[in-house]
Amino acid sequence: MNGIHDLGGMHGMGPVDPERNEPVFHEEWERRVFGLMIATFGGGHYNVDEFRHGIERMDPAHYLTTSYYEHWLHTVETLLIEKGTITRKELDARQAKLAKGGS
Amino acid sequence: MAHRHTAPPSDTALRVKALESLLVEKGLVDPKALDEVIDTYENKVGPRNGAKVVARAWVNPDYKARLLDDGTAAIAELGFSGVQGEDMVVIENKPKVHNLLVCTLCSCYPWPTLGLPPVWYKAAPYRARAVSDPRGVLKEFGVTLADDVEVRVWDSTAELRYMVLPERPGGTDGMSEAELAALVTRDAMIGTAKVAAP
Amino acid sequence: MPVLTADMVEGLVKTGASCRVDADVKAKFKQGDKVIARNINPPTHTRLPRYVRGKRGVIALDHGVFAFPDTSAHGKGETPQHVYSVRFTARELWGKDASERDSLNIDMWDDYLDPA
Repeated sequence: MNGIHDLGGMHGMGPVDPERNEPVFHEEWERRVFGLMIATFGGGHYNVDEFRHGIERMDPAHYLTTSYYEHWLHTVETLLIEKGTITRKELDARQAKLAKGGS
Repeated sequence: MAHRHTAPPSDTALRVKALESLLVEKGLVDPKALDEVIDTYENKVGPRNGAKVVARAWVNPDYKARLLDDGTAAIAELGFSGVQGEDMVVIENKPKVHNLLVCTLCSCYPWPTLGLPPVWYKAAPYRARAVSDPRGVLKEFGVTLADDVEVRVWDSTAELRYMVLPERPGGTDGMSEAELAALVTRDAMIGTAKVAAP
Repeated sequence: MPVLTADMVEGLVKTGASCRVDADVKAKFKQGDKVIARNINPPTHTRLPRYVRGKRGVIALDHGVFAFPDTSAHGKGETPQHVYSVRFTARELWGKDASERDSLNIDMWDDYLDPA
């Protein structure tokens, strides 16, 4: 698809901005997303091409304003829902429960 | 634009927690396996692996020949293999050829030898410009190449994973393999840096 | 679905999951062949970036046989075929203002290429 992910040759994205002594992960949730991806991929829930396509189907504005592990979260969540492994409803409900301090 | 890492809305952290909790409850994910995966890539795998490969190639011409002929097998000789390095190709920088790696479509990167990619490698500015303006990008990294040096960009669109074998710097005669490995940086194996003389 | 347990992690990490396919598929091209990247615009998954479509290059390396993402991403099978590193000049891709010396290598499946 001619998506926002197909960035080669585009202008206006700003300077390359390396971070000195960059850590492998910046936040605890990034660690967990990385682990969840390896675990669900390793468990055979989707293949690498489905994984990439799930990112490519993100809303373009959302794609450009989110970090890479948010892209990963988006595709893992999307694929597990599309394949019927979980439902959006139960995921939303779990998030709401956690927001209220439940577990 | 959020090229750089910025703190996400707390919603993201909560969403991740919800997803993990749901998958654990359904018996689809073992949280101990997650811990193990995270520990592996945070503490055990990283560019020091690739640096050992480079140093070995610098001191051992037979190894270098094997590395350039079959990267996967030669890298496995040093014990590095697996996820995102299943099929490796090593390309050699020479006085008149400078190689630069990019993945314009996503963030393909040789994990067993370089670890997980830095944010800039995965972000839009590098992916957009490395293919169309490699000399400009290299200049921002402090690498200025003469006009008679060919820049060869490698866009890893398939399942091959690439690694640059940088040039051995002068003034390193007689250095041990371990001393040489200590000179090799991650960026030199991506092609956004040269290895500096000690 | 198998569940990844902590004791399986080291094995998974060390072994990985190659997309190489052990199939006896004939290569359509050989090293040195002149090729043209197809101009295709599927609304579905593809690993053929826009900047290379319709451009002329040369087969630099044959990497062997791999699963084809355009079908694999959509449950349509692996469609195993050869993947090549195809070399394009910077000028072919970016026009006359690009360096006449520079080049780009990109990995492409057989189904992305026509003979030039």
